[in-house]
Amino acid sequence: MYSEVRVFSENKPGKLSRLSKALGSAGIDILALEIADEGKFGVFKILVADPAKARDVLEEAGMTVALNQVAVFQIPDEPGGLTKLAQTLEDAGVNLTDAYGCILERGKQAVFVVKGENLETIENAAQGQGIKPISSLG
Amino acid sequence: MSVNQDRTGRRYELMSRDELTAFQNDALCQSVRQAAKSSYYAQRFRSLGLDAADIKSIEDVRKLPLTSKDDLRLSYPAGMLTVDPEQVVRMHTSSGTTGKPTAIFHTQADIDCWAELMARCLSITGATNRDVFQNMTGYGLFTGGLGLHYGAERLGMWVIPAGAGNTARQIMLIRDFGVTCIHATPSYAMHVAERMLIDGDDPKSLKIQRAFLGAEPYTEEMRLKLQDLYGFKAFNSYGLSEMNGPGVAFECEQRNGMHIWEDAFLVEIIDPETLEPVADGQTGEMVLTTLRRTAMPIVRYRTRDLTHFVQGECQCGRAHRRIARMVGRSDDMLIVRGVNVFPSQIEEVIMKHTWVGGNYVIHLTRAASLDQMTVKAEIAKSAFDGSVETIRGLVNELSRQLREQVGFSVTVEVLEPGSLPASEGKAKRVIDERG
Repeated sequence: MYSEVRVFSENKPGKLSRLSKALGSAGIDILALEIADEGKFGVFKILVADPAKARDVLEEAGMTVALNQVAVFQIPDEPGGLTKLAQTLEDAGVNLTDAYGCILERGKQAVFVVKGENLETIENAAQGQGIKPISSLG
Repeated sequence: MSVNQDRTGRRYELMSRDELTAFQNDALCQSVRQAAKSSYYAQRFRSLGLDAADIKSIEDVRKLPLTSKDDLRLSYPAGMLTVDPEQVVRMHTSSGTTGKPTAIFHTQADIDCWAELMARCLSITGATNRDVFQNMTGYGLFTGGLGLHYGAERLGMWVIPAGAGNTARQIMLIRDFGVTCIHATPSYAMHVAERMLIDGDDPKSLKIQRAFLGAEPYTEEMRLKLQDLYGFKAFNSYGLSEMNGPGVAFECEQRNGMHIWEDAFLVEIIDPETLEPVADGQTGEMVLTTLRRTAMPIVRYRTRDLTHFVQGECQCGRAHRRIARMVGRSDDMLIVRGVNVFPSQIEEVIMKHTWVGGNYVIHLTRAASLDQMTVKAEIAKSAFDGSVETIRGLVNELSRQLREQVGFSVTVEVLEPGSLPASEGKAKRVIDERG
């Protein structure tokens, strides 16, 4: 399991830069960022190496923050690199409610972040096929 | 007990109904005679063919004209003053935001009487000279600050005149001096609690026992929420600048309606349309006549506040009648899509939702000639679990309940904690941009 940082935000100009400035000045690198948009408000989903520190930094800056559990898998950054993981999840019959990926090292490694109804089932299925969920991005 | 030691006016406080009526009969006659000394009432009475001597008891009160806020404005600056300027020791003005304010004048005796009424209010909540009291409202022209201050000092409390604002210092003083009683607007008390929660602090750790809340309309739900957050007992206070300010009516330890001090105010409740008295126990507009003020008596003042007499006798035994929490001011009533709505009806629904941090506004706009109501509410930090779906569910549920309450659809918007301007005085809850 891994923790994704989630930040509640009104949908207004300046909210992304506020977030970026706070993390930047604390020396925290954003590995991936996604916005779930709900019209008047949205939720930022952020992948960082130290989620607990990011939470503290953002709360200190006055933001409303929660940590949510996700499964993160390391995959090769190459054409078809996602296929084995995707096939495994299909075979296990699990449904994803949310997923995104990011490259850690171009042409070498990437990570894929998933969220589903039962994270443990997802992780066990992947582990059975030799795809290890990672618990650290540091 | 000698009169000098009677700091809270116990000789009035403990009067029986009959004693109060007898006192009021005399006091009304005196008050009307005093009012007739002002240029404003002299002319008003003359134009009605009324002589102050025509008023012989409280039975005659309806012979007197009603006084409206506009009348007070007409008399601005000093048309209702009845004494020589050298006898005036203080004035206050209303917090009205439109046009001219209304000015109220006091002699030293008036200030003493106000302090006595206020001290009485505090004492019936069980507060004593052993309490440490922090006054968290603005001083100056606003009557809430000085009103409570004088009353608390007269009762012998240890008074911290913190004034409004500077929340971090407020919290520090409360903690460092072991404050047991506070006076604040409900919205500021909520703001302080939110500030503490955001900082990871617990308002209960302050150990405040009593909170005197007033100066703005608020609901029972808001009281329960504040009591729950702080662990104190909240007492409702009622007053208006035209009737000195705070000190008009207050809840006793029973907390079932506010005793209105009938030695100082003659109370009528009338139908705001027909101006006839409503049946006892029915809701109407409260009309007040000052009975103990010299510099500026006001006759039959239309408060615009809607309330009713709480029926039966209070368990505390005091004969002064109790008025119920204000339904709202007749001027606060909103007409949205032809429906009469009081902001208090909206707050009642909102405060039942624990995810709402406490601060909210009601926003009215017009689109394609149709009124739109949007409730914008700040989410409590603790309510955010990271999920969009959770918030969507909360919004839909609140929206559904608001629709049930008012009969038309209400849009709900969730805001970040602290994004609405913090109110340190009276909260502005309604923004009407319908033009």
